[in-house]
Amino acid sequence: MIKVNNLNKVFNQNTKKEFKALKDINIEIQSSTCVILKGVSGSGKSTLLSILGALSKPSSGDIIINNDSIAKLPDLHSSAFRAKNLGFIFQSYNLFNELNVEENISIPLVPLGFSQKEINQKVQTALTLANIEHKKDETVSNLSGGEKQRTAIARALVNNPDIILCDEPTANLDNANSLKFIEVMRKLKELNKTIIIATHDPIFDKLDFVDDTINIKDGEIT
Amino acid sequence: MNNVLLSNEIIVFLFTQIILLSLLTISFFYSLSIIKNWDYSKTTQEQYKLEKRSYLVILIISFTMIIKIFLMPYFAYSIDILSHIVPGAMCAAGVIGANEYGQPLLTFKVVLLFFIGIWMILNTLDLKEKTYPYTKKKFYFFILIFLLVIIETIVDILYLTNISTQEPVLCCSVIFGASSTGSQIPFNLDIPMLLVLFYLLYFLSIFVNIQKNPYLNIIVNILFIYIAYYTVTYFFGTYVYELPTHQCPFCMLQHEYFYIGYFIWGSLFLGVFFAFAYAVLKLLINKSLDYTLKYSLIFNTLFVLICSFYTLKYYFVNGVFL
Amino acid sequence: MKTSTFLNFLFLLIYKHKSKHIAISLISILIVFLISSVLFISSSIQKEVFNTLDAQSDFVVQRINSGKIINTPNSWIEDFSDINGVENTQQRVYGQYFFEPSQKYFTIVGIDLFEESTNKNVKKLLQILNIEDFLEKDSMIIGNGVKEVLKEFHYFDDYSFKLHNRELKKISIFKALPKDANILANDLIIMDISLAKEILNINEDESTDIVLNIPNELEHSNIKIELILKHLDIRVIQKEDIKKAYENLYNYKGGLFLILFIIVMITFVLILFQRYTMISSSDKKEIGILRAVGWSIKDVIKLKIFETFIIAFISFLIGIILAYIFVFFLDAPILSNIFLGFHNLENSVSFSPNINFSTISTLFLFFIIPFISAVLIPTWKIAVIEPSESMK
Repeated sequence: MIKVNNLNKVFNQNTKKEFKALKDINIEIQSSTCVILKGVSGSGKSTLLSILGALSKPSSGDIIINNDSIAKLPDLHSSAFRAKNLGFIFQSYNLFNELNVEENISIPLVPLGFSQKEINQKVQTALTLANIEHKKDETVSNLSGGEKQRTAIARALVNNPDIILCDEPTANLDNANSLKFIEVMRKLKELNKTIIIATHDPIFDKLDFVDDTINIKDGEIT
Repeated sequence: MNNVLLSNEIIVFLFTQIILLSLLTISFFYSLSIIKNWDYSKTTQEQYKLEKRSYLVILIISFTMIIKIFLMPYFAYSIDILSHIVPGAMCAAGVIGANEYGQPLLTFKVVLLFFIGIWMILNTLDLKEKTYPYTKKKFYFFILIFLLVIIETIVDILYLTNISTQEPVLCCSVIFGASSTGSQIPFNLDIPMLLVLFYLLYFLSIFVNIQKNPYLNIIVNILFIYIAYYTVTYFFGTYVYELPTHQCPFCMLQHEYFYIGYFIWGSLFLGVFFAFAYAVLKLLINKSLDYTLKYSLIFNTLFVLICSFYTLKYYFVNGVFL
Repeated sequence: MKTSTFLNFLFLLIYKHKSKHIAISLISILIVFLISSVLFISSSIQKEVFNTLDAQSDFVVQRINSGKIINTPNSWIEDFSDINGVENTQQRVYGQYFFEPSQKYFTIVGIDLFEESTNKNVKKLLQILNIEDFLEKDSMIIGNGVKEVLKEFHYFDDYSFKLHNRELKKISIFKALPKDANILANDLIIMDISLAKEILNINEDESTDIVLNIPNELEHSNIKIELILKHLDIRVIQKEDIKKAYENLYNYKGGLFLILFIIVMITFVLILFQRYTMISSSDKKEIGILRAVGWSIKDVIKLKIFETFIIAFISFLIGIILAYIFVFFLDAPILSNIFLGFHNLENSVSFSPNINFSTISTLFLFFIIPFISAVLIPTWKIAVIEPSESMK
């Protein structure tokens, strides 16, 4: 279960360019649910998502995930938490273009102390789950948009995290690939994962497996 | 003076020391701001910046530690090379005695390594906790280390610039041994008494180890390393060289003796270091680290075993003691 | 993290990003190459000189008059051998001969072919010499530099030395010394001792100086005093002093070079610092990705530092190997002259390999430590960037 308490994020504090990205956010997200964070660009949903994902730190407030307070965790612990519990899927995929699919997927596992054999096993599972096994030796720069997205999904799944966070996942995809993406999300929901998608793509409205929609505007929940 | 400074090894040695000192100076300035402003409970940008800076200091100190460990034998080796141009010196022992800075410098270097080692352990403990609880203490400790490094570098330069290539120095046989007038062993002990004290202190250190009292650990181990130094030089060393008059703590580092010196001194230093680490950590942050006591026991025992082994081996091979 | 998986990943990354590291590698290789060559050359020359010195006698006694060295009477040989502890007192004859046509000096060394010489090098030479043939007529053995100069002026088989009394003395060239003696014997002419005395205008009962051996080291200072007591107008040169003087000279020259190189290294460090601070946006993005998927700052720093270390290490290896080939197989053209000097005869030398672990470790420390130190801070700077920043 994810609880957000009085979260605030201010950029460039105490300067002329001060900007309040998030104002007093309070949210509760149950485990194994799929939640859409809906808002236009600049509404603060990406900021909220990155704080939820322990990628940046809030200016005040706290985030409690499964009874662990993660907002103020120092780097060593927050990255360990991220590696174990979270999977991130980005809008622009964020893959290593010179490496192939298999190598990209194995990256999160390298600092965790697994042997090469264990890593290969986990990578194999993720490849199958994301439906990209047939391209595993292909260099990422040669892939299509949809294939890159599936590689990113596989990478997010490789360590079997409980929570999947997606930031505008369909922004660079055509309709066919967007639908494929939704299918993968459905599969993940069936595996009891908690899924949070920050998007303003209307394709996510009225999906059957979406449990809740949270609207954000100008850094506040509406 | 020029000639000493211009030997390749000394130039490289000093160059490295200065690089390390520069890096540590940068760390010093960062540490000051960390000590002043660190507050884990705050969530300001400032605090996050301080956390990031602390990683730099940790990185620099780890790097320094690794390099300084390598610099110890390299220093010994460079001094050894200098024995060619210092009159009267036949190995590092003579060159160390060339002026009054030599011996203190060596002791100081070992002490510095001890401190850095303890800092590394403290750092590991600190990072394991989610709230980085020992940060301020850690950085105060670092300031102390920084001051020690400054002193070490100054004494390095003082020592090296005062080695005369004109005046003859005493070679080890005069400093340590056969032809010296009167014993160099402290308290005018003779060899059998020294041995008794040596083994006594060893067993005492085991007892204190099990006891886990930090103050006793420090005192007993200081005494142990002090007596052990003389015992190795005046007694065990002679069994390594198989020559009763060769009483030198340095020659056993050379390849003729299979570098056993590194194992002997190394195990002694590690044993005493871990006992120290236990005591300091207990006193500083009230944490009782059992594994340090375990290592201390293991290494001290190893040290005593290696030394006794050489004596016993000689006895069994030759039927008599030296 | 597990070392093997980490290293796998690291080498993969380095391989894929080869072109990024080329510039730094090339500069590194050049620097390592230059400094290793200098060190190799100087240690090779040192070994050569010390070997020769070792072969010499312990003491050299010269006669001094008003600050100048004059010939020593041979009667002194008996006076000195009387001293207890002195062995193998012998006369030495040598001097410079001015070769008019090319305005250069040759060094003439006279050897008594029938007396057992204490000098090991001379002994070696005499072993391969057929003494009867040599003494058939007035002959000499010449160094390579001498041979080349004489050839230039068409003296192929013999040369007539101008004596002091304006007479000429024709001496035939018996043999030339092998090329690898060139470091020390380039301008040398070896001949029978009486011949040498004739050419150098030394009386039969005199010599240039007297050498003697003192096997017991502890007696050196005592015997020195006794020598001076026998004849007050002498100067005694000890082998140890010569050795020390040479060692100091080499330290001096080598040390100067090293200091020059420190300046080079400082510049290099600045370049490295600059290069690693200005990282490209794709680099930044990669670090951001690593952080985002769960790599801690510590892991990222570890990756980058090891990456740098491997680049430095490989460049170091290549530089050393190239220097080795350059000095010991190609005989270091141009660079060798800095050490051997251009002044007298042109010397084409061949160096014999004389490197040990200590030279390599000195080089290693000197290069790697500043290298890594330079990248510590830039590496940290990019590792601590917020992932969300770097992925924008």
